[in-house]
Amino acid sequence: MQHAVELEELGAEIVDASSFLERAEAELSLRIIGQRDVIRRIFIAMLVNGHILLEGVPGLAKTLIISTAAAAMNLKFQRIQFTPDMLPADLVGTMIYNPKDMEFYPRKGPVFANIILADEINRSPAKVQSALLEAMQERQVTIGSQTFPLQEPFMVLATQNPIEHEGTYLLPEAQVDRFMMKVIVDYPSYDEELEIMIRSATTATRAPVKAVVQPEDIFRARALIDRIYVDQRVQHYIVDLVVATRNPGLYGMTELQAMIEYGASPRASIFLLLAAKAHAFLHHRPYITPEDVKAIAYDTLRHRIRPGYEAEADNMKSDDIIRQILQNVQVP
Amino acid sequence: MNARFERLAAGLFFLLLLAVQVAPLKADGASQPVVTVTVTPDSVLVGDRIHCTINLRHPASETVTVENTPPALAGAFELISKKQLSSAPRAGSRKESFEFEYAVFGAGQQPLPPFTVTHCDGAGTITKKVTYSPSSSVFVRALTDSTMHELRPIKPPLKPSIPLLLIMPVILGALGTAGVVLLLLFLVKRFVRKSAEDVDSGQVAQRKLRKLGSSLSAGMPPHECYEELSNIMRTFLETHYRISALEAVTQEIERDLKKLGVAGFESIMNLLKQADLVKFADSRPDAEESRQSLHKASEVIKSTRKSTRNSNPPE
Repeated sequence: MQHAVELEELGAEIVDASSFLERAEAELSLRIIGQRDVIRRIFIAMLVNGHILLEGVPGLAKTLIISTAAAAMNLKFQRIQFTPDMLPADLVGTMIYNPKDMEFYPRKGPVFANIILADEINRSPAKVQSALLEAMQERQVTIGSQTFPLQEPFMVLATQNPIEHEGTYLLPEAQVDRFMMKVIVDYPSYDEELEIMIRSATTATRAPVKAVVQPEDIFRARALIDRIYVDQRVQHYIVDLVVATRNPGLYGMTELQAMIEYGASPRASIFLLLAAKAHAFLHHRPYITPEDVKAIAYDTLRHRIRPGYEAEADNMKSDDIIRQILQNVQVP
Repeated sequence: MNARFERLAAGLFFLLLLAVQVAPLKADGASQPVVTVTVTPDSVLVGDRIHCTINLRHPASETVTVENTPPALAGAFELISKKQLSSAPRAGSRKESFEFEYAVFGAGQQPLPPFTVTHCDGAGTITKKVTYSPSSSVFVRALTDSTMHELRPIKPPLKPSIPLLLIMPVILGALGTAGVVLLLLFLVKRFVRKSAEDVDSGQVAQRKLRKLGSSLSAGMPPHECYEELSNIMRTFLETHYRISALEAVTQEIERDLKKLGVAGFESIMNLLKQADLVKFADSRPDAEESRQSLHKASEVIKSTRKSTRNSNPPE
C-alpha cells in the first residue's frame, strides 16, 4: 500500500521531531508520579499555542507539574497567586517614575514569562481576570502607551478550586471559552499515592530539573503539526460532534436536547482540530484519526457545554453529555 | 209635579252617590280578596330554596295576614324566612305581598303547601279565615346517594341484558386467547430475530463483500472499496457481537473484541487498521491489494461464524 509521498516524509520528520516529548516525559517522571494525562494535555496545549484551565482539589501537584514542565522545557515560569485585592497592574506591570531623568519607565509584570500559572484565577475580580485573558488572546500587553509582545511560547495554566466558591468571582462563559482545554486533575491511584508518599517524605533537597527540551524544539514541532494531514471525513466528524452539542436531536439524541442549555462555540471546532493534531503528533503520526478527536473531546468540550436545569436535576454533568454524544455520533 | 221631580232627582243623586262609593269595593272584591301565588324557580335540586310570593288585594278598611303553614302540613317545604310588603295601588284598596322562602326536600313533583289568610277589621277583630291550596308546584330532583358521601344523580342500576355469569367466561376466554397470541408472537419474533442475527449478519456481510468485489472489477476506485469494506466489517461486528462498532473508533473496537476473546481478532484488526490508513492517511492501495483485503475479510467472517457456531453464542 502506498502513502502519498509527502505524508511519508512528514511521518519520518514527526518521529524525529517528537522525540523531545519522550525526553521531557522521562524528566518529569523523576519528579511527578502519575498525572500522565495532565502532563500530556500540557504538551498538547504547548504544541498548538493553547491555554489550559486546571480544576482539582488542593494538593494534587498542579503547581509542581507546571513548574517542572517549564524547567524541563527550559522556559521561564511565573506563578501568580490571584487574590481579591489584586489589580491589573500587579499582573501586566506599570509605569514607574524615575526622578533622576524625570521620566516614566515601564516595569513589566509577572505575565512576561513563557509559562504562567494563574493560581486560583477565580479569586481575583473581573478586571484582573480580563487583563490576563486579554494577554492570552492578544499575546501582547500594553503598559502606559507602549505595547509589548509576550514571549513565545506563551501558555497560561489557570487553576480553579472546584469545592470552594465563597468569595470567588466565577469566570464568565465567554472567558472560559478562551481556554483550549479544561483538564480535571484527579486523585492519584493507591499505588501512585504510596510512591508519592515514600518519595516526598524527605527533608533532602530535590535535584534540579534538567532542561531536556529547548524552545526551538517546540517551534519546530508546531511547524510540523500545521502540516499534519486531516482527511475530510475527520473534519466532518469534528463538526458533527460540535453541532451535536448544540442540536443533539439532529443525531437522534432527542432526549439530550432538554439537557443542554447551550452547546459548544465554533472555537470548540478549531481547538478540537488543533488538539487532535497535537495528539497525533504525540503518537508520531502524520495524520489524525477519529481516535485523536475522541481522546481530547472531553477536555476540549467540557467547559463549553452548559447542562440545563433538567440535567442538573438528574445530576448529569457536561462529561455525561459528551459521553452520550461520542457514543451516538457515527465515526467515519 | 215639581216636587215629585225634585224627590226623584234627589233619589237618583243619592243612588248615584252610593254607586260611586261602593263601586271600588265591589270591583276590588271587598268581601273576597284577590289572591295570586307565584313561585320561582319551579324546578330545584333537593335542599335548594324557592321563593313563593302571595299577593293579596283587599279593601283598605281591613287588614290581612298570611299565617305560617304548620310543619305537619308543609310536607316537603321548610320555611326559612318570610317578608311582607304593603302598598296602596288605589284609594280604598291595599295590596299585600307575602314572600316566603322555603327549602325544598323530597323528590318529584311537590305541590306548594296550603296557606291561611286571616282578615281583621279596623279594630283588629278577626272577621274571617280562608285557607287556600295553590295549584302551583315545584319539581325536586334528588341528587344524593344513600351514603351521602358523594353528590351525584341517582340513576337506577343498569340491569345487564345478558346475565353476568354468562359474560364473564366469554371475557376471560377472550383475554386468555389474546395473551396466548401475544406470547406466541413474542416467541416467534425473538426466534426469528435470533436466527436472523446468527445467520444473516454473516451472510449479509458475505453478500455485500461479493457485490463489492464485482464493483471493484467493474472499475471502482480501490480507496472507495476500503471505505465500504470498513463499513461492512463494522456492521458485521456490531450485529454479530453486539458491540457499538459503528460509533466506535478502531481502538475501541480492538478493546471490545479483546474483552470478548474473539477468534481471528488480529485479522479483523489488521483489516480495520488498513481501512483506517486509506480513510484517514491518504493511503493509495492498488486494485490487487483491495481484492486481497476483500478475500481476507470474507475468510475472517467465515471463520468467525464457524467458531461462534462451535462455541457458545456471544452475549
